[in-house]
Amino acid sequence: MSERSGTRYVVATDVGGTCTDAVLFAAGEPVRLGKALSTPPDFADGVLAAVGTAADDIGLATDALLARTALFMHGSTVVDNTLFTRSGARTGLITTEGFEDTLVITRGAYGRWAGLTEDGIKHPVATDRAPPLVPRAKTRGVPERVDYKGAVLRALDEDAVRQAIRSLVEDEEIEALAVSFLWSFYNASHEQRVGDLIREVAPDVYVTLSSEIAPVPGEYERASTTVINAYAGRIASDYITSLQALLRGRGYGGPLLVMQGYGGLLPAEEAAERAVGMLECGPAAGVIGSRHLGRLMEDDDIIACDMGGTTFKVGVIQGGAIDYAREPMVDRYHYVAPKIEVVSIGAGGGSIVALDPATGVPGVGPASAGARPGPVCYGLGGAEPTLTDVMLLVGYMDPGTFLGGTIALDAEAARRVFVEKVAQPLGMSVEEAAIGIYRIAAAQITDLIHEITVERGLDPRDFVLHAFGGTCGLLCGVFGAELGVRRIVVPYTASVNAAFGLLSADIVHEYTVTKTLPMPSPAAEINEIYAPMVARARDQLAAEGFADDAIALDWSIDLRYGRQVHEVTTPVAGGGPMDDDAVGRLAADFEALYERKFGKGSAYRAAGMEMTMFRLTARGMVERPRIERAALDGSDPGAAQIGKRDIFVEAEGGFAPADIYDFERLSPGNVIAGPAVIHTPITTIVVQAGQSGRMDAYRNISIELG
Amino acid sequence: MSGKRISATLVVNEDRAIACAACGHTLGPAGAPWKDHARLDEQPMQGAGGNPYTNAERVLLRRFFCPGCGALLDTESALADDPFLTDIVRV
Amino acid sequence: MDPITFSIIRHRLFRVIDEAVITLKHVSGSAITNEGHDLMVSLYRADGSLLMGGVGFLHHLTSAAEACKAVIRRFEGDIGEGDVFLTNCPYTAALHTSDIYLVAPIHHEGRLVAWSACFVHVYDIGAMVPGGFSPDSRDIFTEGFSSPGIKLVEGGEMRRDVMDTLLNMVRAPEMVALDLSSMIAANNVARERMGALIEKYGADAVDEACGALVDQSETLLRKRLRELPDGRWEARQYFDIEGETCRVLLAMTKEGDELTFDFTGSSPQSHYGINCTYWASWGGFFAPLFPLLCYDITWNDGVLRPIRMIAPEGSVVNCTRPAPVSLATVGTIQSVNNAACTCIAKMLSASEKYAEEATAVWHGSHFAIFMFGLNQRRQEAIGILTETFGGAGGARTWADGIDVGGEIPNPIGRMANVETTEATFPVRYLFRRARPDTGGPGRWRGGNALEFALVQHDSPEGGINYVVSGKGTEFSMSEGLGGGYAGAPCAYRWVHNNRASEAGRNVNPFPTSLDEMTGEAETISWGVFPLKGEDALYVRSDGGGGFGDPLEREPARVQADVEAGMVSAEVAAAVYGVVMANGTVDEGATAARRETLRAARLAAPVAAAAE
Ligand SMILES: [Zn+2]
Repeated sequence: MSERSGTRYVVATDVGGTCTDAVLFAAGEPVRLGKALSTPPDFADGVLAAVGTAADDIGLATDALLARTALFMHGSTVVDNTLFTRSGARTGLITTEGFEDTLVITRGAYGRWAGLTEDGIKHPVATDRAPPLVPRAKTRGVPERVDYKGAVLRALDEDAVRQAIRSLVEDEEIEALAVSFLWSFYNASHEQRVGDLIREVAPDVYVTLSSEIAPVPGEYERASTTVINAYAGRIASDYITSLQALLRGRGYGGPLLVMQGYGGLLPAEEAAERAVGMLECGPAAGVIGSRHLGRLMEDDDIIACDMGGTTFKVGVIQGGAIDYAREPMVDRYHYVAPKIEVVSIGAGGGSIVALDPATGVPGVGPASAGARPGPVCYGLGGAEPTLTDVMLLVGYMDPGTFLGGTIALDAEAARRVFVEKVAQPLGMSVEEAAIGIYRIAAAQITDLIHEITVERGLDPRDFVLHAFGGTCGLLCGVFGAELGVRRIVVPYTASVNAAFGLLSADIVHEYTVTKTLPMPSPAAEINEIYAPMVARARDQLAAEGFADDAIALDWSIDLRYGRQVHEVTTPVAGGGPMDDDAVGRLAADFEALYERKFGKGSAYRAAGMEMTMFRLTARGMVERPRIERAALDGSDPGAAQIGKRDIFVEAEGGFAPADIYDFERLSPGNVIAGPAVIHTPITTIVVQAGQSGRMDAYRNISIELG
Repeated sequence: MSGKRISATLVVNEDRAIACAACGHTLGPAGAPWKDHARLDEQPMQGAGGNPYTNAERVLLRRFFCPGCGALLDTESALADDPFLTDIVRV
Repeated sequence: MDPITFSIIRHRLFRVIDEAVITLKHVSGSAITNEGHDLMVSLYRADGSLLMGGVGFLHHLTSAAEACKAVIRRFEGDIGEGDVFLTNCPYTAALHTSDIYLVAPIHHEGRLVAWSACFVHVYDIGAMVPGGFSPDSRDIFTEGFSSPGIKLVEGGEMRRDVMDTLLNMVRAPEMVALDLSSMIAANNVARERMGALIEKYGADAVDEACGALVDQSETLLRKRLRELPDGRWEARQYFDIEGETCRVLLAMTKEGDELTFDFTGSSPQSHYGINCTYWASWGGFFAPLFPLLCYDITWNDGVLRPIRMIAPEGSVVNCTRPAPVSLATVGTIQSVNNAACTCIAKMLSASEKYAEEATAVWHGSHFAIFMFGLNQRRQEAIGILTETFGGAGGARTWADGIDVGGEIPNPIGRMANVETTEATFPVRYLFRRARPDTGGPGRWRGGNALEFALVQHDSPEGGINYVVSGKGTEFSMSEGLGGGYAGAPCAYRWVHNNRASEAGRNVNPFPTSLDEMTGEAETISWGVFPLKGEDALYVRSDGGGGFGDPLEREPARVQADVEAGMVSAEVAAAVYGVVMANGTVDEGATAARRETLRAARLAAPVAAAAE
């Protein structure tokens, strides 16, 4: 123990809907993993429990570990949870007179169908909008108007504003106020004045201005974002403040860094003001983690999949770059904040397998048995067959070794229910039917990944597939082969994906200026737009303790063709400030990116090009120890083999004998020839016939498709 | 009201008569047009609602009421000379 | 067919369409395609019958099948691998000339195995008025180019002579070229993905699955029809064009497991371009039928099999060439939609099991304003105001209609932000909101409509032009259901601020309602108009139909509507019989008021006497 007294740890914790994950490591030590159930609404209990399980591994008490922690990174679902449970503040909205319904009518049918599955969209009579977070009665329009150039057409009526604030506070008892005016991203003066007036008239009210939280075009999405931030703002800031206090009380003396949906960290004080930034930060961290792992393994093009109990999520990393979502939603509310694109479908281990009552055609999900009652084989009262039960029936899961043997799986019950509800009605044997369902699940995932790569103009055969989550390792050998990916990696940290991602994230501030400039424009004009952003970024990162050489400033500019709606964020190669040659190169890069994403012949040059948004990504590079590489052993995995049993082998079209391995006993360097099954304490990895899995120096299982 | 449903407001009762689902008042035999038996209020559509209806001067809002309880059984918009719409349900 | 393979192939066919739609949107890049989702991609079997319809403007699912069949007939023996055919003749298959179909055969090992087809509303078609909606046309010859079938791509190679000829007949040829490229790209994706599917599962298995899929839809729809009572239901739609009053009459008969849509008695074809050709009417009632009756059934040829249409030749629902049709999609086709929605809803209401699926009419008039001129950057700007996709939901038998909630025939339309339109056209919005009291009253209220007003702003020419193709200004086109009232009609006003200004009056630059505007408000409904100087255009769309007796509406719901500004206190009292006092329901006065209204009903004459 004593030699560790000087060790400084990096701790990352991610609070998800079901579980809270922890990852910690220090220089010269292996990565440790921890897991506990999430504990809403007092999430901190779960955080400490998860850290505790990882600390156990090194024989430290939680407080002792925290006292030796240099960095504590954190991601949380607290804001998502506030939205899903509608537990935010009583919120009001002040907007431009004449446009009071913007939030409620959601661009017409958009709010009615957005976020629905295709089945839902095809059944319009059964659809409705989510109730607005600010009802019409808590919305006030005030006289003011700015035009599309940012020119003030009508001065702000301050008396009307004061009256609106008073009536919202006194009659509607609002606790938070969102302010969103037309074109405020070009001219924020009216919103800023309203902000001042609120602080003067009602200092206790939590305020969010659209020009601060989302200075981008599109008044519906901007207002919706502003309202979400106001609605969840105080809960988020209380959450962060109290977690910080708790960690201090337990001996942690460093900064608390909070994960954002765009994949960067913010210091706690700043994150506390941007509730909307925390939305979907878990999946974003997962993609960041995947990119980091890719860098370690020298892979730049990655399809990052995460499959747990209820959903299958996928993000794409191309050339080391990450895609941002264009129209993100939380629950069924739109928001605009930079957010890493992660697409999901309702397919996970808990997904229910059912036959369509009208047609008898079998399907998987989107209904889920969740964690409770869960799959039939868990014996927790689940009465519907799930994908996990199918995994047992195709021989992939071992009733004895699940979760390190802590839960005995009831294979008999799973079989009985599956026969009754699936195999018999299909007129098939259990094995045939289970194989069929397994294939349906794999095909659905194949189709999803294909679609999202096509959406980006990409070919899945150029990519490495990362398989995260408890269920992904069971299926990736089949859908990965059909997609024809280069290789499959099941990371050592597969079960704590998001927390692992936090470890690799940097502090990232995003700044944007919305302005339309023709292409080309003089470089000086562009540099002038950037100058205040750059100054602000440098000040902010300096204040956070970053030296100049630990700061990176990335410039990127959104461009589009005239009369066209698709905008492409194009990085400024070589960074700023720009000269006129760089402007020319930017145009060429945009054209290349556009054709790659939208297809050959899609470029429309006749109406020229224009720049529409100027983005600055300012990164403060967090110093952290390197993850250790283990020494490689020989390729023979014999020492880890724990048995042999019949499993479903895709190439055989049926059952065949396979070698069974214990992950814990494998050594880096071992190579496993399929068909084989590797049981880890948390998950299971299936290597199909013709494939081979190798444990690398980071204890990842890297599967070659042969 | 018991009986077999033939619309949102009407049923066919045990005696094979069309009846008001609210009160049971009958409106002729099953399978035949029923509107002649109802009470009818016809007024220009412009009086149907508030200000946005004021353009609708020519077209009439026909409202068919149950003679038993006054329930609104059906509506039509119609020009004065156009016949009632006839719905026949065979149950 | 083995149910596992069937399930996988079915899922993959959906994805083929999704991927083709993504491609189409990507390449097209236009606002109407990307914002309004005014597009369609579907797959067809070797004989041109619908295999799988995508979500888009649903009128086109069946019409594009006719386009495939027309190409099969016309080009027999000359349909090769990698060919793409263009059809936009409304008397052959299309709805109007602006909606161009590109249909492409899909071959496997030299054999024709399927077709893909798609459409977009192209930027221009060379009609009298830019953009294709052509109210001044009196025949098809002045509605732009029209082809009953032409080979645009041969063996994967663009036929330059054909393309150049087409582009020579339109304004903004480069935009139309992009529209056509987007459809070619979408067809290419569909062909590649179908090819991969056939490669993996074999041509026979895929064909068998496709056949089974079509049979399955037929079986399911017939089963559903048998569950519904037999009967005959009527609907009637009126619309007014320049003093002409048109009727669409529909009698829908259901017998056993078959449905007949009979339009006998509908008006003779119009002089104006609102007519439907035969295939437009056929698509017109399928557009609501798919989502209303087949919400859980795959949309394909199986759905068509139990269904028949009678549409008298020379009528507004089956016009005779060369009658003009350029406004069909915002004209008669909407009345066909609405009448079909009403008849289907009445049939559903007659069933205990399906009553919850019934709905009053949504977005009956489908008003459309088309703009053309120069924008603030001196660029040519042609396009529809996307408020046309705003819509208003009809009331359900268990819930209110959705305010500004869209429409049934295009399940995923949406309108653009005010800021988007102000950046595209030289206009400034004065207001845009849901208009109270437009939703048809009922136990469940129809969704309120949209109202908005525009003035020109920063126009280099002092203004811009707009096309109004208004119907439903005198008539309520969103019928109610089960006693619910129809929604309020729509309204277009040309507010003459220029005249007011010339007369020395101070024009209010920031009115927030029609009442606050300075100039005289002239009612307009048809033609091309200027938006110049200080003049304003005011538009109100029509409200959704209501469901059930307004006197049965729970007073608390009326109160909530009054609080939200969705219903006025006057209408609450006059129509709903709910009396408000100090912002809450006066229960005593409400009971008394409702009693009075009921008594008046019982004093009305018996209908037989009136007829
Ligand atoms: Zn009655």
